Amino acid sequence: MSRAGVARGGGFFLLLLALPFFGLAHWVVNLLVFVLMFAIMASAWNLVGGFAGYPSLGHAAFFGIGAYSMALMFHGAALSSGYEPFVALPLIGLVGAVIGWPIAIISMRTRADVFAIVTITFLFMIQTLAFNVRSLTGGSQGLSLPVAPFPAASYERPFYLVLVAMLAVAMLLTFGAMRSKIGLSLVAVRADEDKARGIGVRVSGVKVLAFSVSVGLTAMVGGVWAYYETFIYPQFAVDPLITIAVVLMTFLGGRATLWGPVLGAVILEAGQQTLAYRLGGSQFYLIAYALVFLVIMLLLPRGILPTLEERIRLRRRARVANAPDTPGAARTADAGRVALAPGGRS
Amino acid sequence: MHALVQGVILGVLTGGVYALMASGQTLIFGIMKVVNLAQGAMVIMGAYLAYQLFVSFGLDPFLAIPITTVVMFGLGVAVQLLFLRPLRRDDKSELSLLVTFAVALLLEGIMSVTWSTTYRSINTSYANSSWTVLGYQITAVRVWAFALSLLALGLLFLLLNRTRFGRAVRATVQNPESARLLGIESDRVAALGFGLGAATAAAAGSVYGLLYPFYSGSHYDLISRLLSIVVLGGLGSVGGAVVAGVIVATSSAVVAATVSPAWSEMTFFAVLILVLLVRPQGLFGTVGRGAI
Amino acid sequence: MSGSNRLRMRRAALVAVATLSLISACSSSPSSTASGGTGAASADAKPLVIGASVSLTGDFADPGKAVKAGYELWADQVNAKGGILGRKVELKIVDDTSSPTQVVTNYQNLINQDKVDLVFGPFSSLLTVPASQVAKRYGYAFLEPAGGGPAVFAQKLDNLFFVQPAPVVKSGDIFADWILSLPAADRPKTAAYAELDDPFSAPIAESIRARFEAAGITTVYKEVYPAETQDFSPIMSKVAAANPDVLVSGTQSEDAYAQVKSLVQLKFSPKFMFMSNGANSPVEFPSKVGTANTAGIMSAGDWFPGSTATGAADFAAAYIKAYGGTADTIDNSSAEAYAAGQLLEEVAAKTGKIDNATIISTLHQGTWPTVLGDLKWDSIGQPEGAFHLVQWQNGSLVPVYPTAIAKAPAMYPKPSWGG
Repeated sequence: MSRAGVARGGGFFLLLLALPFFGLAHWVVNLLVFVLMFAIMASAWNLVGGFAGYPSLGHAAFFGIGAYSMALMFHGAALSSGYEPFVALPLIGLVGAVIGWPIAIISMRTRADVFAIVTITFLFMIQTLAFNVRSLTGGSQGLSLPVAPFPAASYERPFYLVLVAMLAVAMLLTFGAMRSKIGLSLVAVRADEDKARGIGVRVSGVKVLAFSVSVGLTAMVGGVWAYYETFIYPQFAVDPLITIAVVLMTFLGGRATLWGPVLGAVILEAGQQTLAYRLGGSQFYLIAYALVFLVIMLLLPRGILPTLEERIRLRRRARVANAPDTPGAARTADAGRVALAPGGRS
Repeated sequence: MHALVQGVILGVLTGGVYALMASGQTLIFGIMKVVNLAQGAMVIMGAYLAYQLFVSFGLDPFLAIPITTVVMFGLGVAVQLLFLRPLRRDDKSELSLLVTFAVALLLEGIMSVTWSTTYRSINTSYANSSWTVLGYQITAVRVWAFALSLLALGLLFLLLNRTRFGRAVRATVQNPESARLLGIESDRVAALGFGLGAATAAAAGSVYGLLYPFYSGSHYDLISRLLSIVVLGGLGSVGGAVVAGVIVATSSAVVAATVSPAWSEMTFFAVLILVLLVRPQGLFGTVGRGAI
Repeated sequence: MSGSNRLRMRRAALVAVATLSLISACSSSPSSTASGGTGAASADAKPLVIGASVSLTGDFADPGKAVKAGYELWADQVNAKGGILGRKVELKIVDDTSSPTQVVTNYQNLINQDKVDLVFGPFSSLLTVPASQVAKRYGYAFLEPAGGGPAVFAQKLDNLFFVQPAPVVKSGDIFADWILSLPAADRPKTAAYAELDDPFSAPIAESIRARFEAAGITTVYKEVYPAETQDFSPIMSKVAAANPDVLVSGTQSEDAYAQVKSLVQLKFSPKFMFMSNGANSPVEFPSKVGTANTAGIMSAGDWFPGSTATGAADFAAAYIKAYGGTADTIDNSSAEAYAAGQLLEEVAAKTGKIDNATIISTLHQGTWPTVLGDLKWDSIGQPEGAFHLVQWQNGSLVPVYPTAIAKAPAMYPKPSWGG
């Protein structure tokens, strides 16, 4: 990533941090809270599904594990400042990562299709457990969390700021992965796992590490979500839909890119919440949704950002061809990123 | 002991129906290497078609099967040609998961609009009749459902082993490249194969509608079970799917009867995880090449 | 109708509609504002805008639509009478897709973006809990007709009022009351319980079980089954094997029909049979299990056709006029939603004011007549009344207990299957 890229990232986060202090309406901050949750989860999923090419459909299980960890830790507790649950977040991330470790070792023995099935199976197991281990989870009756004692005027702000910080972590990890040997190893795994093993990449270590970090972050989002909702129950705490939404966001924005998952989350989550509110309900939604989904997959299979980048690169290349004496014009701003994108291989 | 035997009877009878649904799904995977997440939605679509024929014309769901299979065969061919064929080869396995999921949602949306989201059931005159054999309760409709599933599986077997199309399919499953060299048009085989998978879903759907109440969202429950069955049987293996269907349905019915229905769903997943630990390719799967 | 747990995936439905916004949504106007009839409300008075989020898609779509129908029916009725304190009632009803995330966003938007005057509740306890927290934060009264589970009252909110005669947990207690009112010789000695694992079902049966066990009725079998259970024969054969005098089923809808079918196949008919929900559906139940098989089965209800409660006749007439059908096809959820509106009218009539603080302080005192009968609440919004016991007799649902509202004596023991 170039200096311009770093500046872009810095500017983005400064803007994010400043936003709530401009007197934004509650409903806008509320919307941003949910957008941020999905942006973090999409970025985290990208580490496994985007870079390493293991399409996990089980991430929602870890969202649920995080939500239930948070609920169990604070169910019936009295909060004084209201920041206690946020302090517990790293611990929840650790719980997610530790549970994710053996799951990764088992499931990553299989490749793409079977891996997707095994991970979604794990998701259903966790959901069944959430329903059936009633003494712990409250079963279908749900589990309540204490209500944050924040003043109504700025109730959403602490949630928002914590999520901004988590997004920064997720994007830094992505950035690091793209720049480091680990990132290269992941891409090698994606391209051809056997060959990668052959040239000495420590395949299993790298992919298991990526999976653990990814699900740890997802668990932390689940924890924040549980605290924000104040009440969780199995259908929505362990919701296959969360995975599907996250996967779709990553695909829409662009797999194995830094900004793609964030872009996808902004478009889809903000769009969904606003439209559900504005347009009311009709069963035609489902049909419209499915058609949009299909159009994205068929027309933009690599996502918005890689497609755009390729367009720009082609245009620049054309310009270079026309004016061969312009030095360096063909160099894209983020050559590394393009190379990492799946499109870069073809 | 009584509960155990009753569970086994129920499980085996139900297992036949699951075997039929799963055989279509595993066939699609074998031919195209596509995990069809819309298989459950196709079964429910088949159930709705049978329901509509029953309500409008009083046609018995068993007799409706020739009609519904033909309709669903056409639908399956259309899905393959419109949505799956255009996918780029290198991303196909990931993208096809998402595309077939989108097809499932599309079907669900169409069913919700057409039949609303209330539960439907097909109440035939024999829906409540049952026999008592040696103290065990055996429901008539389940026995017919089981028999029909066996019949459909038998026809599928004949189709795959005794026809030119079947030979082309088996060649494609075993080795797509050499099949192409032998002059088998893989696109055509894929389209017909997807159609055939959808047709088995239609047959299974008629039976499913007779056994259980259903609505447009029922396919999520189905697909989670079907996935466990096809992975357990070995992706691409029709014989494996049949065996796995019976194993899984029986063990879950036994758990429901002897432990608690709350844990019966868990059996599907637990059996799957156990098998994957020992044999990641499934019971009858082979590494690298498909098998039928 | 909680549906099966996996089916929540449907909420996904909306995720990518975002992209559609670029194409079509920008040009569309908010379509869900249902303004009532023209009525006599003076044109210059500011309309009274009431916001509500109900499930129009997803798992709660069907009951959600029934709630919406109840709200709209009431708005039309009250506007025809000139509105509330001369202000025309305008409803803003939005869809929460049965999702707790969307329900939070919706009440945020209703209160802070659209600045509605009042809010009504969503469908289901699961959505009521997060929604009522948002209402509480901004000082809104929360009249909700469909969220009466324990989690709702565990919040101890003073702004919440559950518009039904009793909390969900106690809605089956009327059956226990009736059984325990029988002469000792007629009472059942043994009981079996089959309960759907869902916050609106199992707790009802559990509450009855506690009462029965305290009264010395032995529990011979109990099973809690998950929402996706399809085969009830394993459970019902165990019930038959235990041979109880009374079967108490904590059911929702489809599971109730499946239980009856399975019992018919097993040819086992207990002396007493109570089903918390499903069996109180006047049209679906007989059509799914066969009218002859309904005889003697009991359930609980609040609104029922032919009720003489305040406004019940008007409500039934208006409902049939608007949606067709007969009094038998009216959904309970619509009546409950309608009652929430009646309460607003009564508060306004009594105090001459209609604002959140007035509603909250006024409803905590006294008894309030509605189409559901007289309602009153404790300090955390739990209603303190009871449901009616209803029984299937000759193919129709008849209130049989308490005696004051009974149209026929309760029939027992239950006849065997097929009449």
